[in-house]
Amino acid sequence: MFTFNSITELINTLAGAKELLAEMFEKRKSFAYKYDHAVEIIDEARLESLIELEVVRKNGSLLEMDDKFLQFFEQILEVNEEINTATVNENIRTLKQNINYYLQEGNANRKYAYLKAIKAVLRKIGLMTLRNIVDLNRNIENTFKTEPTYKIKISKLENYDQKRKDINALIKQTRQLLDGEELTFFKIAPDEEFGRIMTQLQLQLNEAHHNLIETQKQIIDFLNQIKYQSHLLEKIRQIKYLKDQFELKERTDFLAVMAHCKDVFFAPQRSGRMKLSLDLLHEDQVYPTLLKISRKRKTGVKQLRPLAENISAAYLETETTYEVFIDPEEVKNSFFASGDHLFHFLQHYQYPKEVTFVEIVTLYCQLISLYDDELVLSGTYGKHDDLEYAIVYPE
Amino acid sequence: MSITKRTAEIFEILSKGQFISSNSSDERIRKLFGVVDDNFTELLRYFTEINFKLERGDEYFYFSRPESRADLERKVESAYKWIDILDFFKAHDNAFGPGYRFTPADILVKLNVDAMLKSKLAGLKRYTRDDKFDAAIQKLIELLCREGFAELENEVTNSYKVLASFSYLENLIMSIHIPEEIQNEIPE
Repeated sequence: MFTFNSITELINTLAGAKELLAEMFEKRKSFAYKYDHAVEIIDEARLESLIELEVVRKNGSLLEMDDKFLQFFEQILEVNEEINTATVNENIRTLKQNINYYLQEGNANRKYAYLKAIKAVLRKIGLMTLRNIVDLNRNIENTFKTEPTYKIKISKLENYDQKRKDINALIKQTRQLLDGEELTFFKIAPDEEFGRIMTQLQLQLNEAHHNLIETQKQIIDFLNQIKYQSHLLEKIRQIKYLKDQFELKERTDFLAVMAHCKDVFFAPQRSGRMKLSLDLLHEDQVYPTLLKISRKRKTGVKQLRPLAENISAAYLETETTYEVFIDPEEVKNSFFASGDHLFHFLQHYQYPKEVTFVEIVTLYCQLISLYDDELVLSGTYGKHDDLEYAIVYPE
Repeated sequence: MSITKRTAEIFEILSKGQFISSNSSDERIRKLFGVVDDNFTELLRYFTEINFKLERGDEYFYFSRPESRADLERKVESAYKWIDILDFFKAHDNAFGPGYRFTPADILVKLNVDAMLKSKLAGLKRYTRDDKFDAAIQKLIELLCREGFAELENEVTNSYKVLASFSYLENLIMSIHIPEEIQNEIPE
């Protein structure tokens, strides 16, 4: 088993094996690295020396990077996935021990060495806490979003919550350490650099504390969401069961809920209840549409107009009514030929029909008005039954 | 006094009993959601005058009526239908909820391996009216889309997205209270 003789040797070895180390580091999570793969990347002699220097270790046919180097890479590159609250605890213990040594030590050089160790630890605590919190947040988010099984999701989140509590406790402890305990040391410690580190640590712890509050809220929120989801699923299952058993109405307040529900979702308006605008129907552009519709609506059934019955023969017979007409022209001609005066003539004339006295008198007046210019009205009057009449002669 | 230029559009959608969700992939609907969100109090007052109450849900809006008009029977029937549909989709995937994306093919694949899902689909036959799996699934998805609970996000891949309004159905279920003793009687 060889050890490195100097830093230069170590760095040169690592540089020589850089492809292999890069490959192994990248695949550290996915699968176990095979010896044969490694041989293809660097030559065997170099690989053997690496194994001897315990940079990598051979395990049957597999190769593993030494844990120290693995952690070194992870820490430097800040890709550490494992949250290690144990290390922070350890660091606090180391811190306390070193403080004690510092206070006890008389020799200035050794005192300085302890001081350096203390500074290193303080720096490390701050950074590590912050990095832990970042990792924690990322893990919580991943778990919530990707973990398929509900029960496991809940327990993982609860575990992360526990980690959060641990980190919180550590922050508190560290703060206590800085502010309360070890007052002696922190009052005496001389360095200006030390003061700087202290301040920076305080700031980092503050930031960490605030972040953790956010983390706590996040965890609670996620847990609530999950619990709501699983509660919802359970409820759906129960309601479906009751419904299938036809017990939903009877054994729950389903009817009350539905009666109370006035959402339009359950009672949609039926559209198309409106009439056409009459003005629109008068427009020209509507006419082709109307034609189209009427063509579509032609049912092919012709409506029969009911035929009327024959016209009865009675209506077709011409009916004649006869009326006897006294022709005044004829009467006048007869009167002229007679030589009698008018009234007397009319009384004795042969009429084609029966005439009454009133009709004779009417005819007398008619003739006078009709043939006024052919008749002469003498001044004398005759009398007939209370009726006075003028004597009329033809010209 | 017009409150927004889109009041008519908003009314069109909501009066049919549908929803306006904020996570729609249709930009028009997203814009409408923004409009309703910004002018909520004025629109509430405006629609109250015509007997519609504008309700706000978790990232979605819908209408309700101040006095109930539909008869109980019809509401109960409708509720039964949605309980069954909700149960089916949740059985397909527990995570089925607002923002969830799926394709009919996913459900088809799951049907082949999950006997309970198959029996649930058979139970939904009165709404799907089809024996063939893919046609039945398509009908169910269309039912969801028609009411505004989901929408076709990508025509090419035939992938659908569940909208925020889906929480309405979940809330409906949660609002039904089952007394303790009866809860205990239900088998696991």
